Amino acid sequence: MSEPIVVARGLGKSYGQRTALTGISADIEAGDVVGVLGKNGAGKTTLLETLLGFSPPTEGSARVFGEDCLAMSAATKGRIGFVPQQDELLGMLSGRQQLAVTAAFHSGWDHALIDRLVNEWAVPLDRRLQTLSVGERQKLSVLTALGHHPELLVLDEPVASLDPIARRQFLAELFEMPETKARTVLFSSHIVSDLERAANKVWIIKDGRLHWQGEIDALKESVVRLHIRARAPLPSGFSIPDALAVRVDGTAATVAMSQWREERGEALARSLDAAIEVEPLGLEEIFVELNR
Amino acid sequence: MFILNPQSGIPIYRQLVAQVTRLIAGGQLAAGTELPSVRELAELHAVNPMTISKAYALLESEGLLERQRGKPMRVAARRRGQAPLSQRLQQLDRSITDLVLAARQLEVGKKELLARLGEKWGDDHE
Repeated sequence: MSEPIVVARGLGKSYGQRTALTGISADIEAGDVVGVLGKNGAGKTTLLETLLGFSPPTEGSARVFGEDCLAMSAATKGRIGFVPQQDELLGMLSGRQQLAVTAAFHSGWDHALIDRLVNEWAVPLDRRLQTLSVGERQKLSVLTALGHHPELLVLDEPVASLDPIARRQFLAELFEMPETKARTVLFSSHIVSDLERAANKVWIIKDGRLHWQGEIDALKESVVRLHIRARAPLPSGFSIPDALAVRVDGTAATVAMSQWREERGEALARSLDAAIEVEPLGLEEIFVELNR
Repeated sequence: MFILNPQSGIPIYRQLVAQVTRLIAGGQLAAGTELPSVRELAELHAVNPMTISKAYALLESEGLLERQRGKPMRVAARRRGQAPLSQRLQQLDRSITDLVLAARQLEVGKKELLARLGEKWGDDHE
């Protein structure tokens, strides 16, 4: 087995007394599309930047393509594409000039691909970048990270300002790679529906820690909301194991829980002498429940 | 062709498996019908191709779809009773769970429910 594309072990980052990130251990396998979800200030940007070695970790380590993130060779860096939350485009340049500057840094720049995307995404190339809208700049920023066919693409809130049609065009492009290479993607987004479409795995960051990681399908199958209706009033301190949030009202209760399995529902219904209805939850609801 | 809702609490691959299974059972997807390629379906619904592959692979393992070299997946010829009993029973699991839940909510006892099931079974098969 070859080493995963990204390996983090006990990774953390503190700024003086403030801990932004701690104890992150996770792998990203080739071909994974990992979506990072977290509240504002949870540590998503710090995580992406620390994993790539832009900002040295204060605990633990990260390896990318088998190399320490702080000592990556130029060849390894050339296999990565990064789109920061705040674009780093040069405002005095036109889009055309910016793309030419970026292309000059890469030997295998795919001009045909970028020409096609400029056209499909309607990116204006002749105006100075400082006069473009936020959405137009985001599109251009993504283009600067795609032209060299990066095997690992890391995007920090890449499409927050794009309309739904532009976001779909962007998502479709995430999966476009020459057939011989697999693309691995790590991206943070507040647009949960994009994450549900594109990601096969999800990392949920809470207070600087990796609160949940795994397959998005497994998460959806594991976290549910139970609607419990018992014959007798439920006790005031009523709860069940693995409950994330409990609301009791007389004989009825609503419980969000993890580690759900159908057998547990049957056992619970028997022990409480209650009827239980199971509500599957979308990622947005799951995220809210996990952050209570 | 399919209705896939990424925001649902039901994983996308399960939605696809359930729909293909139903369409085959209902005869709308006849044996030999070719399904859209993974890529086409992923593009159409703007979802990760891996999700579509996962559903197709599961349907193939259940004997509902078959792979053809260099061509799209197609609906397998129907071979009755081919899947092992445990697999066929598994397909009923969700319906059974729903039925038991409904019976409990309606306070219908196990005995009455089984009796009714027996009647239904007899109506259709004897």
